[in-house]
Amino acid sequence: MREQEKVNILMVDDQPGKLITYEAILGELNENLIKARSGKEALDHLLKTDIAVVLMDVSMPELDGFELADMIRQHPRFQKVAIIFISAVHLTDIDRLNAYQRGAVDYIAVPIVPELLRAKVRVFADLHRKTRQLEMLNRDLRSLSARLLAMQDEERRRIARDLHDGIGPLIAALSMNNGMLAQQTKKLGPEVAEVLQQNNQLVEQLSKETRTISHLLHPPLLDEIGLLPAIKMFAEGFAERSSVKVAVELSPDIGRLPPNVEISIFRIVQECLTNVYRHSGSKTAQIKISHTPDKLLSVQVRDEGKGMTGTNGASTTSGSSHGVGLSGMRERLRELGGTLEIQSGKNGTTVSAAVPVNKTMVKSL
Amino acid sequence: MRTRFLIVDDSELVRKSLRTVLQANPDWEICGEAPDGETGVQLFKELHPNIVILDFQMPGINGIEAARRMSEFAPAVPIVLFTQHASTDLERHAKEVGIRSVVSKTNAFPMVGMIEALLGPVDSGPAVAEPGDSEKSQAE
Repeated sequence: MREQEKVNILMVDDQPGKLITYEAILGELNENLIKARSGKEALDHLLKTDIAVVLMDVSMPELDGFELADMIRQHPRFQKVAIIFISAVHLTDIDRLNAYQRGAVDYIAVPIVPELLRAKVRVFADLHRKTRQLEMLNRDLRSLSARLLAMQDEERRRIARDLHDGIGPLIAALSMNNGMLAQQTKKLGPEVAEVLQQNNQLVEQLSKETRTISHLLHPPLLDEIGLLPAIKMFAEGFAERSSVKVAVELSPDIGRLPPNVEISIFRIVQECLTNVYRHSGSKTAQIKISHTPDKLLSVQVRDEGKGMTGTNGASTTSGSSHGVGLSGMRERLRELGGTLEIQSGKNGTTVSAAVPVNKTMVKSL
Repeated sequence: MRTRFLIVDDSELVRKSLRTVLQANPDWEICGEAPDGETGVQLFKELHPNIVILDFQMPGINGIEAARRMSEFAPAVPIVLFTQHASTDLERHAKEVGIRSVVSKTNAFPMVGMIEALLGPVDSGPAVAEPGDSEKSQAE
């Protein structure tokens, strides 16, 4: 949306003369002015177009301004419409309060000071424009971050594949050749045999390092056998590297899930365990994945660490400032239509994710 | 009769090294090689090997799926899964489809002893080799 893009201003009054006056006053704002002669007509416009400001008379036959405001506010799509009342009567504080309680942003008494009305409408028109711009930028950002996450997954998968296909066979061949040589140790001098033995150890170490890098980048079992074996394998490796004791409780009926769900859940578990190791100080972690009765896949990672600073034991479902890790999890879940909840206190942290799983997309292993 | 091996691995280098290691035993021969699971299953049915050395991660069907199809056809033929990804969970899946043993590619030397044990004292092998098949190889 361009900065100068016009917004719609709806003017509601049963007297045509007043509508013409408003039109003359607001004309120089250079926005789209829409006229409505009744509350009903106003609602029609609201349903069809995105309205920034509603300027309306309080006293109208049939549906009066207050009733119309009530109806507007009840509709979730119109929560953000700015309503400005204009009235020649009902000018007590109680009347004004009544208007504000119905969600009005202003209450203007007749006679109108044109500059004042114009200035007030301009503020809300600009606000609406900015809100729309922000919403659009937000959507762009979300889709960008979703694309980045997907590209990151793809890149990691590619590097892991290169390691597997390029370096893996070299290591395997080295190891087999060493094996052949080892059969001949009697023919070799003790010094040469010693070097061969060292080479064997080096190859083993090289292999282990390559394997760890490759598995952290992209778990090989994920594509081939599925989420649960991949998580178990990752948890085993993590426990070995970190000395954090990991209990894994996976409901066996989960089977295969769509690839984007599998990689996202795997990454969430991976991120959680990394946080347990880096930040919680916990010596244990528990991973639990199961179906809930309402057809969600529930993923829980719990630790007994010192808790996250900033959550104060409260459960949080909104955006937060816990770095890229948690925002990344949130974005992944948003893409899948899922939710993330974190409960953290001095006895530990529980990260719970719920993902809707379309049963028809699940094929069993 | 010599024991006939089928090697299924997408890496030429790994197949070559395996050939060198296995052919060091004069009683063993390579009856066929395949660069992917589908070809491996096809050669398995054609060549009736006595034992299969099978990679896990390959283009197309993976080693587990290939082993499942081979076991359906001739369940008595031992299959060894030769992989960079040896883990307890992979081993469990491997056992379910009839794979006898999982060997890590990075520690291949024990494989020879393990194969000897799998083949037993007299290595006639459960599958009957057909005459004329023995020199077929390399179906890439």
